[in-house]
Order: sequence, then structure tokens, then C-alpha cells
Amino acid sequence: MLRTSERFQQHTTRRSWDVLVFSVGGRRLAVKTLDVGGVSQWGEPVPVAGRTPFVTAVVRLNQMVLPVFDLASSLRLSVQGSPLCLKVRHPLGDMVMCIDEEIPVLHTLHPSMIQNYRGTDVPADGSYVNGLDEIPILSVSRLGATL
Amino acid sequence: MNVQVKRSESLSSASLSRFVIATIGGRYFAFDAEPVQGIVTSLEGGSLQDPVADGIVYRTIDLAARLSLSGDEGRHDASVVLLEEQGIRGSVRVGKVHGLLEIPQALLLALPAQFHGAEQRWYRGMILFERSVAMVLNTTWVLEEPAVGVDVGVGRGGAGRIETVQGVVVSKNDEC
Repeated sequence: MLRTSERFQQHTTRRSWDVLVFSVGGRRLAVKTLDVGGVSQWGEPVPVAGRTPFVTAVVRLNQMVLPVFDLASSLRLSVQGSPLCLKVRHPLGDMVMCIDEEIPVLHTLHPSMIQNYRGTDVPADGSYVNGLDEIPILSVSRLGATL
Repeated sequence: MNVQVKRSESLSSASLSRFVIATIGGRYFAFDAEPVQGIVTSLEGGSLQDPVADGIVYRTIDLAARLSLSGDEGRHDASVVLLEEQGIRGSVRVGKVHGLLEIPQALLLALPAQFHGAEQRWYRGMILFERSVAMVLNTTWVLEEPAVGVDVGVGRGGAGRIETVQGVVVSKNDEC
């Protein structure tokens, strides 16, 4: 369920970053492909009463139960269209996020494109500029820990 | 009434865990079956009274409020689960009791570590139930709640009919 951008190349230098670009509430974000576990249709989340900010539900994927990080709420946005499920590899275990229906796109970023992210709304390992947009590259390991 | 127990025949009872599945605020929760002393299916004395069973008072615990969920007070089929652990008793109002589920210990899933708030004490884990997930409540935490509601003397008869007694839980349907 991924599209390959024109800029994506199979053989890249070691220092290039392969990222998956997706949207939440119309806002573009990226995540390193190494941190991606898969993209699928969004299932029915099971709300979990708790006190952890933005981790308020789980989803069943066959016999697995994975926590949901509510990225849209953390950004004060609403997911658009028929959402997709982005599974990411978090150090504490796989986790899913609900993203817009727009199909995520693979990009390869030359190291010279990567800069520090100036925003503070999401934990980021860096960012890159695409047109007028600065697209943060999410730091998956810090999702849910620093927000 | 019928007792609905699902059990894997190839496993000894020692390796099985038993849970009473109920809904609170429309969500599935699992109570460890061992501390469950019974289920009151109707409250003759009103919802604010502490249930009394066999002369023993079970103080009311507003678990829905502690979990920040909407309660089930308005439901005509609401039930009350009676709990006792290490001499501490309490009763929890639930929307519906779905029955007793018996599963291998291995099917008790850990709460994902991403849940790092107070809920780590609230739940012992999770179990798959129907097409959803039931959160397994930590009975010790549930019984920590201070008493809510009016004081009812032992033997006053404020409780409704006890459908079940220790170790035997009755379900009104065959959902689990």
C-alpha cells in the first residue's frame, strides 16, 4: 500500500535516509522506513481508560493487540477520509497510528536535505523542506514519551 | 439460567485462568474469577446502597468514575459484581455480565508498555474477547477505593437476589 516517488532509488548511498511520507489531518510528516512495520486499513480501536497522554486505545490485528498513539490529537488535527493504519517499530513494542487515507509515499533523502526540525509539536530526528513545507521526520522512539 | 464456561480440554485446570467478563460504560472488562463472590442482578434497595449477601456488606465501588467512564446506572439489566480479596470486600456495578471465560494463562496478554501512566496498576493485562479486547482488572486496585454511598448494616437485606456464589458464576446468555 505504498507508492514510490520519482526520487526514490533502490541503490542509495549509505547515508541517505529512506522515509515514508504520510499525512495526518492534511499535514505531511515522515518516518524512517526502518521504523515502519506496515500500512493497512484502519480497524476499530478499543478505547482503554488510562492516564497516558495520547495512548488511549488498542487495536486488534488478528491475535495481536497493539497500542494506538493518537498522533492526530497530539497535533490537534483530525484524520481525513477513510483512515489507514501505520504500524511503527517502537522500542517498547510495535505501535500503530491512524493516518489520512492518502497513500503514503516513499522518499530517499540525501543527507544534505536533512536539517534540524524547528518545531516542537512532535519529537523529530530532523526534517526536510519540500516546497514551502518543512516536513518533520518523526522520532518514533520518543513518541508518547516526550509529548 | 445456565453456566457458560469455555475450557480447553487438553489443559489442566492449573494452567487455566478464569475471568468474569462484564461491560462498564460499554467497554469490556475482565474480573479475576477467584475473588468474585457473586453477582447481584437486581438491587431492591436502590443503587446507592451497599449490597449485602449472606449478612456480609460489600461496599460500593464506583469503578466507572475511577476509570472516567459513563456509568451504567440507567440500565435496567445492570448487575453488581461482589468481590473479596484478603478480607477486603467491595461491589462494582457493571452494565452487563457476559459470563465466565476460561483461558490458558499464556493467552493473558501484557498491557503494552506504552501505557506508562497510572493505568499500569489498574490492569493486570488484556484478553481477546469476541472481536474486541477485555481489560483485566487488578482486583487489589479495584478494592482500594474508599466506600461510596450509604452505610448499610449487616443483615439489613438491602441487596437483591444473589445469582451466584463463590467460584460459580452465572451468565444469562451464551456469549462467552
